[in-house]
Amino acid sequence: MTRRFSPERIGWLLAVVVAILLPLFVGEYLTSILLLIAIWSIVAISLNLIYGYTGQLSLGHSAFLGIGAYALGLIALKLHLGFWPSFFAATAISGLFGFLIGIPALKLRGPYFVLVTLGFAAIVGVIILAWVDFTGGANGLAGMPRPNPIPLPWGGQVRFDSLLNMYYFVLFFLVLIAILCDRLVHSLIGRTFIAISHDENLAESLGINTMAKKLLSFTVSAMFAGVAGALYASYNVVISPDVAHFARGMDVLACLIVGGAGTAAGPIIGTFVLTAIPEGLQIVPYLKTLINGIILLLFIIFLPAGITGGFKALALRWGDSRKSSGGRDAAP
Amino acid sequence: MPLLEVSGLTKAFGGLMAVSGLTFSVQQGELLSIIGPNGAGKTTLFNLLTGIYRPTSGIIRFDGNDITGCKPYQSVRRGIGRTFQRTTVFGWEKVLDNVIIGQSLHVRTGVWGAIVRTGAARREERRIREKARELLAFVGLSDMEQRLSGNLTEEAQKRLSIAMVLAADPKVLLLDEPTGGVNLEEIGGLIELVKKVQRSGVTICLIEHKMRMVMSISDRIIVLNYGVNIAEGTPAEVGANEEVIKAYLGARRVA
Ligand SMILES: Nc1ncnc2c1ncn2[C@@H]1O[C@H](COP(=O)(O)OP(=O)(O)OP(=O)(O)O)[C@@H](O)[C@H]1O
Ligand SMILES: [Mg+2]
Repeated sequence: MTRRFSPERIGWLLAVVVAILLPLFVGEYLTSILLLIAIWSIVAISLNLIYGYTGQLSLGHSAFLGIGAYALGLIALKLHLGFWPSFFAATAISGLFGFLIGIPALKLRGPYFVLVTLGFAAIVGVIILAWVDFTGGANGLAGMPRPNPIPLPWGGQVRFDSLLNMYYFVLFFLVLIAILCDRLVHSLIGRTFIAISHDENLAESLGINTMAKKLLSFTVSAMFAGVAGALYASYNVVISPDVAHFARGMDVLACLIVGGAGTAAGPIIGTFVLTAIPEGLQIVPYLKTLINGIILLLFIIFLPAGITGGFKALALRWGDSRKSSGGRDAAP
Repeated sequence: MPLLEVSGLTKAFGGLMAVSGLTFSVQQGELLSIIGPNGAGKTTLFNLLTGIYRPTSGIIRFDGNDITGCKPYQSVRRGIGRTFQRTTVFGWEKVLDNVIIGQSLHVRTGVWGAIVRTGAARREERRIREKARELLAFVGLSDMEQRLSGNLTEEAQKRLSIAMVLAADPKVLLLDEPTGGVNLEEIGGLIELVKKVQRSGVTICLIEHKMRMVMSISDRIIVLNYGVNIAEGTPAEVGANEEVIKAYLGARRVA
């Protein structure tokens, strides 16, 4: 288990401190970019749970993102429930969709599961676009609520109509979900996820109900993606079917692969890199996809474990070769 | 009452009868060997007993219950553990972690406990870690617990795979060629381990090709050929059986 002050923990603490201080020194525009990085990082973390740790590649996470965003909007606008009830309902609804889709989809393995999730994303995208009366169709929805102001014990309140406070709100959820995910995958349950990702048949032969574990992982993953969707809707105030565009599922996957699937920092680092590079180079939007595609390709060819994954594998190899005394050297 | 009882067990792959009308039983505490030429249906039999394949016909009873058609994870939970012919461990995990994963079916901690890291969750984790260390000591891998299991020798991986199934507390252990692919001088140690497992109270079904080993450690032997049970008895009885000798010579596998 990690020690209280392991280098890893100190790294995380530093990152959080930087994330808190950074927007105080950069302008509004960069803060809004940081906010979006935080939101897409949550989606990448959620994909990391089901793909990086459980080994089931979902290309359907744009659907859960869209469901979270539209659920928040529709519940808040049509049922006039406040922010928090809408937010929790949106999270639960995304999880429920994950559960219901997961039951048939996770019975399939490998490419079949990938295809079903992709199909699901396409269907959700079409429904959002076509069901004009309910979702506003191509026009989308406007008037999403921001979080309710939080009263302070010494009087006054924290309001979320400013960009900076909204950024901290999103950052809070990013940190929370990163911690929840990390605790989950390092628990005894998480070990079964990882076991499934390595060898599902072996896991099953050891008495692990692999279907139940995959379903659990997928449901939690869908909930996290739904949280990201709801945060996005609340921040943006306006949402359009673009949130749920299936290509976003691939973008998130690209971030995860570049950062390192199956590592704690990978999803965040990858999202940061793939957002910051095109941003820093001041590239026009349609070239962004091209640049990201090239980066992804380079990673798949030269560093398939991603940035964090590459470091981790090196450390593991090095540690083991010091301990080993003439064991078989071939990688499994 | 026998621990495991199989009657009329049949598995057809298309027109091929991999296992055909097998009837036998395994007594509590014994070491039963299953031998036969390549392709005789031995591994298929294990796959049927552990629910990887559904039988075409026939019934499997274990510990008094009909378990025909159980899923693999259910059969382990009922007490049927197995190792694979092609040794399988989680190569990218450390040795100790492999044995911790082997105990997954006993884990009580839920999502809440895992996320909040409740006292009960921590205690369970400690208990499982200790049990994993005991199991590694039992199979003789204590000094390797922090090694990456994919880097172990074949022999050490075989020991590890046995520790992993033992972690599930099986009543019967199905071992598919536990000495396959292992250096000659290491085989003796593995046989000792198998006997030690039997002495600890676990019933054993063993698939083996090495006849000297089979003859010396088995209580009883079943001989399969083309999916059919052609002989059954003590090592002495089976060794003197005409049909067995013929089957082995016919398959050009002289023991
Ligand atoms: N999934 C399958 N589909 C089709 N045929 C199969 C399948 N599994 C096994 N068989 C066939 O069934 C027969 C029995 O195979 P099995 O693996 O049980 O033999 P075995 O006794 O374990 O042999 P070995 O000693 O070589 O391990 C073989 O002819 C094999 O080709
Ligand atoms: Mg076999």
